Amino acid sequence: MIIERILIALLFLSGFAAIVGMRNIIKKIFGLNLLNASVVLLFILEGSRIGNQAPILDADITNMVDPIPQALMLTAIVIGVCVSALSLALAVRLYKATGSLDIQVITERLQREH
Amino acid sequence: MKKLELIKIVITVLLCSLLVVPIILSNHSWPTHARNYLLVNAQSDTGATNTVSAIYLGYRAMDTLGETLVLLVSVTGTMAILVKLGKEQTDEETTSFSLTPEKRPTNRLRTHLLETVASKLGPIVLLFGFYVMLYGHISPGGGFQGGVIVASAIVFLALGTEVKSKLTSTFVLSRIESLSFLLLILASISGVFFESGFFGNPIKSASSLSANFIILLNIIIGLKVGTSIAVMCIAMMGGSHDH
Repeated sequence: MIIERILIALLFLSGFAAIVGMRNIIKKIFGLNLLNASVVLLFILEGSRIGNQAPILDADITNMVDPIPQALMLTAIVIGVCVSALSLALAVRLYKATGSLDIQVITERLQREH
Repeated sequence: MKKLELIKIVITVLLCSLLVVPIILSNHSWPTHARNYLLVNAQSDTGATNTVSAIYLGYRAMDTLGETLVLLVSVTGTMAILVKLGKEQTDEETTSFSLTPEKRPTNRLRTHLLETVASKLGPIVLLFGFYVMLYGHISPGGGFQGGVIVASAIVFLALGTEVKSKLTSTFVLSRIESLSFLLLILASISGVFFESGFFGNPIKSASSLSANFIILLNIIIGLKVGTSIAVMCIAMMGGSHDH
């Protein structure tokens, strides 16, 4: 159980490092997606600790996983798709306006314009 | 200067890990009350065998309404940004994925493999998406999952050339999306007039199928999610100017 948690923590931190450290805005958006994926995996892992059967109520089911984290993460996945679509559209717009995807170059060019 | 930046990034990530890692690594026991309640009562309360569907369309249907609102806002924002962009650009024809069939062989991004596979796969994936959507109450799946599969099928149809379909036009897709959102709101308030409350089931006694309302909501949400994501994908491929 501990190895999955360490991997999820590494996934979260790599997403955070991408948001903070990368200068390319497309890579920042990928970091945002990694954060989203690690949170989803953490919830699914927590829900699966109290059972080992899929939450479909068949006749012989006795020990199913908790379905509540799964239902919550369904929402989180859709919202994650929305956020990444909106931020990618903004990235395209910034690229068309300034001709660069580097956040520092974008800032410089926008400051020069005003 | 470069080294200073790197040190700053490392310190930030370390501070973040100080906050987050104890939460992820905590070994607190997960409560079993909700699971045990659902194991006994979910089927008689909502009629759905799939407990995940029972939660997001039965017990917590209000969350789903809010979520479709977020999806609507996000699609509106993306389309507003991208459609305005489409009017400004002039050299779109050389890079866009959504070209007229005559121009397609000249585009280096369009291979024969893509053309053939995408248009043949489209209808099959569409059928599978509707299967996942319609059987969401008794098997793994549901409106959101089926909707995303339908969206990928529409993207396949938009990429291929062999099958001509009205479904790939953003005009038709956005009309379906608006219509399904209207239907979702009507379905959510219809329970009020039959004394079962907001998101109550108005047709419980009229039909023998026990999960009828969940099936209805699954279809509406599947259409909503599928057309929303398909509209966003087609707009990102540069096809939003075809109406």
